Formats: sequence, structure tokens, C-alpha cells
Amino acid sequence: MIVVVLSIVIGLMMVVLFGYTSDQKAIGIAKDQLKAHLLAVRLFRDQLPVVMGSYGKILRGTGRYLKLAFKPLLYVIIPITFLIVQLDRYLGATPIPMNIPFLLTAQTTGPDALNNLSIELPPEITMTAPAVHVAADNEVVWRLAGAQSGRYEIKINSGRQSATKVICIGDNLARTSPVRLQDQFWSRMFYSAEPALPAGSPVKSIAVNYPEREIDIAGYGMNWIWLFFILSMIAGFIFKELLGIKI
Amino acid sequence: MNIYGAGIPARRFEPSITMFGAGIRARRFGSPIRAEHFSTWRVLSKNRIASRNPRIASALLIAFILLPSLAHAYAGPGAGFAVLSSFWAIFVAFLYSFYALATWPFRQLFRFLRRRNAYGKAKFKRAVILGFDGMDPDLAERFMNEGRLPNLAKLRERGTFSKLRTTFPAISPVAWSTFMTGVNPGKHNIYDFLARDTSNYLPFLSSAEIKGPKRHIKIGKYSIPFGKTEIKAMRKGTPFWHWLGKAGIFSSVIRVPVTFPPEKFPGVLLSGMCVPDLKGSQGTFCLCTTRSSNDKFREGGVRVPMQRENGVCRSYVPGPENPLAEGAGELRVDFEIRPETNSQQARIAIGSEKITLKVGEYSEWIPVEFKAGLGFNAHGICRFYLKSVDPEVEVYVTPVNIDPGHPDLPISHPVTYSIYLAKLYGPYATLGLAEDTWALNEHVLDDDAFLAQAYGNHEDRERMLFDALEKTKQGLCTCVFDTTDRVQHMFWRYLDNDHPAARDVPRDERPQIIQDLYQRMDRLIGRVMSQIDENTLLMVISDHGFKSFSRCVNLNAWLHQNGYLALKDNKSESGDWFEDVDWSRTRAYTMGLNGLYLNLKGREKQGIVDPSEAEALKLEIQKKLNSLVDPSSGAVGITGVFITGNVYRGPYTENAPDILVGYGAGYRASWDSVLGKVTSQIFEDNLKAWSGDHCIDPRLVPGVLFSSHKFAEEKPAIVDVAPTILQLFGLSLPSHFDGKPWPLAAPAGS
Repeated sequence: MIVVVLSIVIGLMMVVLFGYTSDQKAIGIAKDQLKAHLLAVRLFRDQLPVVMGSYGKILRGTGRYLKLAFKPLLYVIIPITFLIVQLDRYLGATPIPMNIPFLLTAQTTGPDALNNLSIELPPEITMTAPAVHVAADNEVVWRLAGAQSGRYEIKINSGRQSATKVICIGDNLARTSPVRLQDQFWSRMFYSAEPALPAGSPVKSIAVNYPEREIDIAGYGMNWIWLFFILSMIAGFIFKELLGIKI
Repeated sequence: MNIYGAGIPARRFEPSITMFGAGIRARRFGSPIRAEHFSTWRVLSKNRIASRNPRIASALLIAFILLPSLAHAYAGPGAGFAVLSSFWAIFVAFLYSFYALATWPFRQLFRFLRRRNAYGKAKFKRAVILGFDGMDPDLAERFMNEGRLPNLAKLRERGTFSKLRTTFPAISPVAWSTFMTGVNPGKHNIYDFLARDTSNYLPFLSSAEIKGPKRHIKIGKYSIPFGKTEIKAMRKGTPFWHWLGKAGIFSSVIRVPVTFPPEKFPGVLLSGMCVPDLKGSQGTFCLCTTRSSNDKFREGGVRVPMQRENGVCRSYVPGPENPLAEGAGELRVDFEIRPETNSQQARIAIGSEKITLKVGEYSEWIPVEFKAGLGFNAHGICRFYLKSVDPEVEVYVTPVNIDPGHPDLPISHPVTYSIYLAKLYGPYATLGLAEDTWALNEHVLDDDAFLAQAYGNHEDRERMLFDALEKTKQGLCTCVFDTTDRVQHMFWRYLDNDHPAARDVPRDERPQIIQDLYQRMDRLIGRVMSQIDENTLLMVISDHGFKSFSRCVNLNAWLHQNGYLALKDNKSESGDWFEDVDWSRTRAYTMGLNGLYLNLKGREKQGIVDPSEAEALKLEIQKKLNSLVDPSSGAVGITGVFITGNVYRGPYTENAPDILVGYGAGYRASWDSVLGKVTSQIFEDNLKAWSGDHCIDPRLVPGVLFSSHKFAEEKPAIVDVAPTILQLFGLSLPSHFDGKPWPLAAPAGS
């Protein structure tokens, strides 16, 4: 339901934004001319030079049309990109189910730090198997399980330094962060929902693999983004007609 | 010639609120993107993070930087449809192109087998015929000799320049029908803009009949039309481009008069003169004004009151009659005007359109949609012209044209051709008589506003012509320009030395409008000549010439005064359409521009003339009318009276007038006479802006013929054009043709 509402609202917002930031008259003309050249192919189909010429005009017209759409596309895509990333934090994955084992992976900056890593768990989370060291990847993997729903902070120590990672347990809608990263601004922007790990920490990243959230549509599991895409597209078509906006 | 010129109202047709126009709508399509499903959750997967979030993130990032085509998958409606649409366009174009390419050899083979090389015997690959309605040979020659028309002079020098004999009568729908069919009016059934209904002596449009659906279903207050609107062509005969098409020769035909309704043939055609407006008339303008007045326009327009309240003026554009409820009146589209007197401009809001106009400025074509309810809409376009904002607010609105991008009536063949042109160049005038001559006659428009309108339409037509030239590298390309006719009709007063309608304008202050017109047409010829080669025949023709129209002749008054037409109760005058005529004592009457009819027993509803006496009566009238003298000047007002039985031959001669009246130069049927009105005066001055005409003795107003190649014909006639073109393309001529093909002259020195 929340995806439906979001799709409609964002569909409306995007159409309006596109309408305001685009040269509607020029887009209308460009689209009309594209249609005209398509019609020309049909109207003069027995005249091969005309057909080929029209095809060339369609290509040029498409370029002109894309050029006109580029600026509003930027206006639309940039905010929606960040919006979708944030929405994906809520809708892309579910918290770890209670009493189901999950993996916590810490990656260090080098092999030396691997042996010094230790983990501190809150009482609601338990370790269900000994840590596994993957030296080739500078990783340590813990197998954990949560006994009670909630947001918990897990601490990973490396010598005198430590790093934390928030873990969501339960079955409610919650903001999840699959990874906490050191530096890497753009990666954090797109992948993480937590602050950067301290600079100079031997821990480079701490990741949890949350289960992917799937929306059941007629017995078929679907990621929210596809449903969002389809519904917002439909909403967009409807709103563009209602608002008289050319896209 | 224009129906307004005659002041004759066209019969009001059923409103064209139908959905059958079935224009191609912009089609929207769903996403072509294939869903790449996210992998299901796996407990032990060290690539898990990189398998989901990076997919989204990188897709988004790459999308808006490099590949906008993917971005819309995420940005959804706001961005992606645009890209989708363009890709769809390319996709469809590819399909069409592939289809065209793949099937082209087979189609060529099929054409070859069926038509045996259409151009095998052709002397030219292409014929371009430009029709300049009403271009006068004498004026053209005068301007050429003055060095004002260099391109036409080139044609004269290298090819042909000649007078072109016109039809009887010399009226556009008659002459152009003869042009396209190659036959005399007795075989194509067009004798005037109007024909008369013998059951009630009222006129109807001669070229087409439009009937609404026969059946209606009544639901509550609604009466829903059920079935199709019937449009019947009244013009008979086969246009010569049909013969070309049968032989495999493609034609582009633009705005040739009397091509409405458009007929199916192998080519494209945009209908011209006789296409109605959305009201079903031949053009009804509208003057929206805050000025209170009970005056009505004689014809061609309506005055619509404008209500002013708190600085906002409200009015409406009148449309067709409501088809869903009898007697419900006309449909309307409301609009608002906010005048700004300081800046002499106004903001107009109509539907979703908002425009700002300065005084003396036209808007672009504005789409208007008349909603009748239950999804029955009529789509039109019109232009606004702001006349004044202070003290009164006045806006002129052109007749509401059928929207070419969304035609509710077919105005082209195929129906997509008008849509194609509208998409390519934007909306354009579709009304047959698109230049609003009556608004100028009624002083609603001034000279400049009329010219701006006429040349606006003309420029649209030029664009269409050049597109047709580009698309028709082989075959026939023909386009008729009406501007020459309308401008000469309305501005001859400045050319004439002593026209009654321009006596108040000093001669040295008279604008050179007709000279400018001819020069403009010459420049057009120059541009066309630059686009054709030796394998193209260029012909420039006109359907008739022009003369001054300074004196009006009321033929009904003459018939009355000479005992052929009787009035009721000894009245001395009659209202429009023979309101006070006593048919039981009337032997002859006239309506329209040149036709005179006997009140024949067995034909007219109240006919009294025995058919056995008809010939004698015709001869008697002919003898009396011929050389009728204008008492004020002693000039001959009528120089030829023709009994149509001697002029026409063919299966439709029974629909012709009995007598054709040929007025002398400077004379024409009076404004009242054409409306079936009887006045006490036979002769009177013509004080209207409509000051030039050609509906006179056809021998005095031949058309013009220019061609790029020389023809060995001394007396060419418009009826010869069709057979000439067919012969030049190597086709045999149908036996029913009345015209004779012109032979090409032998090359110089041979």
C-alpha cells in the first residue's frame, strides 16, 4: 500500500517538476515533428527515398527531443535518485527476523588487523558459531542471531580502537543499513545509512546481509522498485494528461 | 470568388460532432524494460551487498550521467516517458523502414507487372501545377513589362505565357472542377457555389452535402446520434490524378477547390475551397464586444456580447449546434479577457490556453473543444484578434476551423495527411474560404488585419507546397493558392481609378497591395523554380482573371420591372430569398452569381412556364438582357447572355441554370440579387471593400497560363489541363474528356 501511495505521489511530483523545468512548447513541437515523420513513412511508403529521408529525420528529431528532455531529466533524476535510495533503506530490505542466523562481515585494511578483531554483542544478540577468518579478503565473518526485535549496536574492537554497526531485528518496517563504510563518500551515499567509520580505524567496513523485501503480486515476489516503476509510470501518464504536461 | 462575395449563406450543415475522424492520437506505450529480478536472499553470500544496493546505485548514477534511457526506469514518469517515446519512435520507424525496404522490390515488381512501368512513356518525371486563383493575365503582363515579376518573365521567355480560357461561368468552383476533371460543367455538375432547391427556391451548397446520422437514441434529455455522418460529394467526374494513380503515378494535391469530401486515390490530398467550418457554414466569424449594439451583420458573422465585471470581460466562441438535444442551441467555449489599457494589450484565457495580445495583433491558432456531453466533442481551432481595449473591449474571432490535427470530418486523403501536416507545421486554416473577406466588408477587420490573416494562411500553404515538392520527386504535385483571389477581390478599389469604395482615398495615398501580391507570388515561383530540373514540367495557371466591380446589377429587379417576376400584393420590393415573390405569376428568377432560372412547370414546385414555351422565353430574355445599358453612364452592363443548352453538354445539364448572364467589365450581380432579393433599383454603386470580381462575361476574364516548357497551342483552355497532363505522362485519354491536350512545341532550332 505504501508503495502504491508513494508511486502516485512521486509520479505526480515528477510530472509537475518536468513540466516546470522543461520547454513545453519546444517539446511539443519536437514530439509532433517526430510523429509527422513517422506518418510520412506511412503516407509515402512507396517512395523509398522519402521513407529513408524520413527515417533520418526521425533520428535527428529524436536527438533534438532528447536534448530538450535532458535538462528537465536532470532536474527530475537527481532528487529522485536520492529519494529512491532513501526509500530503498526502508523498502528494499526487511530487518533480520528474530532467531534466524545472519552474517556480520567486518573487513579490515590489512591482514595484520584480522587477528586483533573482537566483537561485543548486546544481550539480545548471540553468536551461534565461531568467527570465520577469510584471510584472502581480509574479512572476519560472524554468525549471529537476534532474540528480540529492536535496533542494536554491535561493537567491533581492534586493539584500542573500536567501530560500531547498527543492526535491526524484528519484522517491522525499519530503516536498514546494510553496510557501514570508511570514507567512500559516494558509496556511503548510495549504500549506507550510517556515518562513516572513523578515519584511521583498521576496520574498513562492517556489513550485514539483510533479507531482501519482496512484495507479493499474484503469487510472484517482486522488488518494490519494479512495482514503483510500473505504478509511477501509470500515475505519470494519468497526471500528464490531466495537467496537460508534455513529456 | 468567394461565397461571401455573393453574400450568400451556405446551408447550415449538421454539426460535425462525430468521433469518426479517428485521428491518430499520440500513442503511449508501457515500459520495454525487461525486469532483471533481484536475486533471492541467500544466507551465505559475501557478494550480497554488492548484488543489490550497488545495482540500484550504479544504475541510478550511470543513468543520469550516461544513459538517460535507463534513468526513467527509476525516475518513473517524470523523466522517462520522454525517452521512451523517442525510442518508441525509432523502433516504429525501424519497423516501417524495414518493412518498406524489405517489401519495396516486391511492390516494385508488382507495380511493374500491373502497370508496366508507369513512367515508361512519360515526357516528364514530374509535373508541378501551381494554381493562383484569379491571377489576371493582363495585370501579370503589365507587371512583367514593368520588370516587377522576373521569375514569371523567365517562364514567359523560356516556356509559355498565354491567356487561359475559363469556364461558363467564370467562378472558381466551376473552373477548378473543370480543371481537375477535364470536362464541361454539364459533366461535373458544378455551376456555381450554390444550387437551388426546386421544391422551395432556396439555395444549397453545390459541392457537398452533409447529413447527420439518420437514427437517434433518446435517453432522458439526450438524443444520441447513432451511425455515421454522411458526406456526399456533389461534384461528378473523375479528377485526373485518379487516372494517374491508376497508372501507378503518385500525386500530392493541396487545396484544390471542390475536393471536399476527399476521395480515395493513390496519393495524398488536402481539401480546399468548400470545406466547412465547425458550425457547418462556409465561415462564420465572431465579434465579441462590450459595445452594446443591436446591429447584425448582413452575413458571415455574428456579434457576441461581452460582459465586463471587476475588470474581467467574459464572452464565448459560438460553435456548432448541440447534436444531443434538439433545440438546445449552439455549443459554446467560454473565455475571459483581462484588458490592460495602459499597455494596450489584453490577456485572454480560453480552456488551458493563456495568451497575451497587443491591440492589432493576432494570436496563433488556438484549439477549442466544444463539449456536448456524453463524450461528444467537436474539435476546432480559431485565432483571436484584439481590436481594442479602451474604451470598449473588442475581439474578433476567426471562423472555427476544423482542427487538422484532430479532424472531426475528413478533410484529407488519407485522413492522416491533414494530421501529418499539422504535426509537421502546427495548426493551419482548413476552412475552404479561409480568408475572412466578409469581416473586412463589415469593417470588423481593417485592411492590415485582413492582409495579415490572408498572408498568414498563404505562408502555411507555401510550407505545404515545399513539403509536397520534397516528397513528390516523381508524379504530380499541385497546389492552389487562394490569396491571389481574395486580395484582388478586396483591394481592387485601390487599383481602379475611380472605384466608389475608394473615392475618399487620394490616388497618391493608395497602397500598392495588388502589385505587392503579384510580386510575392513571383518570388514563390522563383523558389519553386530553384527546386526543379529539366525533367519537371512547371505550370502556373489561374482559373479566371479579374476586373473591377464598381457597379451592381439587380437582375431580379430587372426581371420584376420587365414583367417576368411578380411580387405579392403589388409590393415594389422583396426580402431575401424571394420572400415576397408571387410564384404563381413569376416566369423567371435569379439567385447566385450568374444563373437565371425559368419557373418551369414540372420542375419548380410552383412552376408556371410550360416546357413547350421555355425556349421561346429564354430567347426573349436573352434578347432583352443582352447589351443592357447602365443609364448613369451609358456603359453596357451585360455583354453576353448565354442559353445553357447551347453551352453545356452532359448528363447533369438539367441541374444547370437556364441562362447564364455575362456582366460587362465593372459590373456584377448585386449583393441583393444574389440573395434572391428584389429591389426597386436595377443599377447601384458597389461601396464594399469587395471591389474586384470575375463573375462576369467569361470572355472578359480569362485565366493565365505559364509553363516552363513551351506548348504549341494558341488558345489553351482550363478544360485542356487534365488531358494535357495525362498525355504528358504517356496515358491514353478517357473518351468523355472535353479538353484537348496541348502538344509540346518543338525545341528551338529543330
